[in-house]
Amino acid sequence: MYEVKKLVKKFGKVEVLKKIDLVVENGEKIVIIGPSGSGKSTLLRCLGRLEKATSGKINFCDKDINKISKTHEIGMVFQSFNLFENLTVLENITLAPIKTKLMNKETAIEKAKDYLKKIKLDDKENAYPADLSGGQKQRVAIIRALMTDPKVILFDEPTSALDREMIEEVLNLMEEVAKSGITMIVVTHELNFAYNFATKIIFMDDGKILESGSPQELFNNPQTERLKEFLKN
Amino acid sequence: MSFFNEIGDMFYKTFIYENRYLYFLDGLKNTLIIALLAVIIGIVLGMVISLIKDYNKETKHLKVLTKICDFYVYIIRGTPVLLQLMILYYVVFKSIDIPILLVGILTFGLNSAAYVSEIIRSGILSIGDGQKEAAKTLGLSYFQTMRYIIFPQVLRSMLPALGNEFITLLKDTSVAGYIGIVELLKASDIVSSRTYDYFFPLIVSALIYLFFTFLLVRLMRMLERKLNHVRS
Ligand SMILES: Nc1ncnc2c1ncn2[C@@H]1O[C@H](COP(=O)(O)OP(=O)(O)OP(=O)(O)O)[C@@H](O)[C@H]1O
Ligand SMILES: [Mg+2]
Repeated sequence: MYEVKKLVKKFGKVEVLKKIDLVVENGEKIVIIGPSGSGKSTLLRCLGRLEKATSGKINFCDKDINKISKTHEIGMVFQSFNLFENLTVLENITLAPIKTKLMNKETAIEKAKDYLKKIKLDDKENAYPADLSGGQKQRVAIIRALMTDPKVILFDEPTSALDREMIEEVLNLMEEVAKSGITMIVVTHELNFAYNFATKIIFMDDGKILESGSPQELFNNPQTERLKEFLKN
Repeated sequence: MSFFNEIGDMFYKTFIYENRYLYFLDGLKNTLIIALLAVIIGIVLGMVISLIKDYNKETKHLKVLTKICDFYVYIIRGTPVLLQLMILYYVVFKSIDIPILLVGILTFGLNSAAYVSEIIRSGILSIGDGQKEAAKTLGLSYFQTMRYIIFPQVLRSMLPALGNEFITLLKDTSVAGYIGIVELLKASDIVSSRTYDYFFPLIVSALIYLFFTFLLVRLMRMLERKLNHVRS
């Protein structure tokens, strides 16, 4: 799915990603962990085409990521939800598939209503984002990303802005989504969730991938001092 | 002669005699035409300018055009509107036969565009990048994002500022008399020069301006309430 080679990202003179190499296979559930400022978001944003690499290469499905035309194949879910404030829940979900002519209006609405029913928010289809709780917003954001049938969904700290009681509902939905076999890359501080969810965990520190492997390997047998320290907190 | 007789006499001289009320009506008509068309030009051109600047910020394209827009806004905001009016009238359109009213409409439209573009730009900034980024990852183009997501929110939040701009414009058109456009103030001036009385015509003009700004404030409030109602 992804092949990242010597990815470097600089903001001005500051090197935020320092030669990242990474391969993501189809269907993998990758969780990225690491201390604040280590470059997790930046890496995810490069994978989501929101940032351009300073040097190095990212291939997506064997093509240069800058050359793929179908932007909707890479879905993204943000910490701050980023729902469209001027649109209702239903409009939020159906706007992109309709306007990009991915499907006609009827199909989009039908599909959206199915999803809303699944996450038990069908009674909120005409509500505006301002009227939803944080957990509800994030769940809407997740099915909005699913609507365009992406090949991968990138999650940047999807539960960090949520109260404890809402974190669960979002994580549950993510586990539900994972069952479909879609590739997922998740930045999160929820280590318990990561342990059960991930097929592979990546530990980032200071713009580099320090360790990667199965949850068991990393959590039970950390190799670097930095990871040991990180897991202690 | 009593005070009331005097008032009646002045009223007669100012409005009735030689159908002088027609001056006021004509002036008012021109004032409204200039303000209305200028605000439309201002909003359309202001949107274009803010779009160009924002597109440049997002994509780094349109560099030259952006520089031109920056310069344009700088010039307009840095010089008095009367000077702009005179430049258009005495320099740009000097040898071209063009209705003088059109010069006024153009001047105020071009002037307003600079201010409106700044209003819209700060509105776009206040929404932040989050929704734009979400739209991008969903496959929406820049223009689709602007049209369906950003602009509706900008216009809603900018409505008070845009209303103020319209009100400012309505009053500022009074300088158009300088190049001979008979707008409301100029009309009262003409009548004054006939009646040798400034008080009455000026008070009447003031009341007319006040009436229309009052109307505009009311209209804006209604629109705002309606938009807020739709939203929640
Ligand atoms: N647009 C930007 N301009 C300048 N510097 C940036 C920008 N985005 C990120 N950085 C810097 O890059 C570094 C890595 O940031 P990044 O957001 O990727 O870290 P992170 O691992 O996601 O941290 P956190 O856990 O706090 O979200 C930080 O030092 C940050 O200040
Ligand atoms: Mg981050």
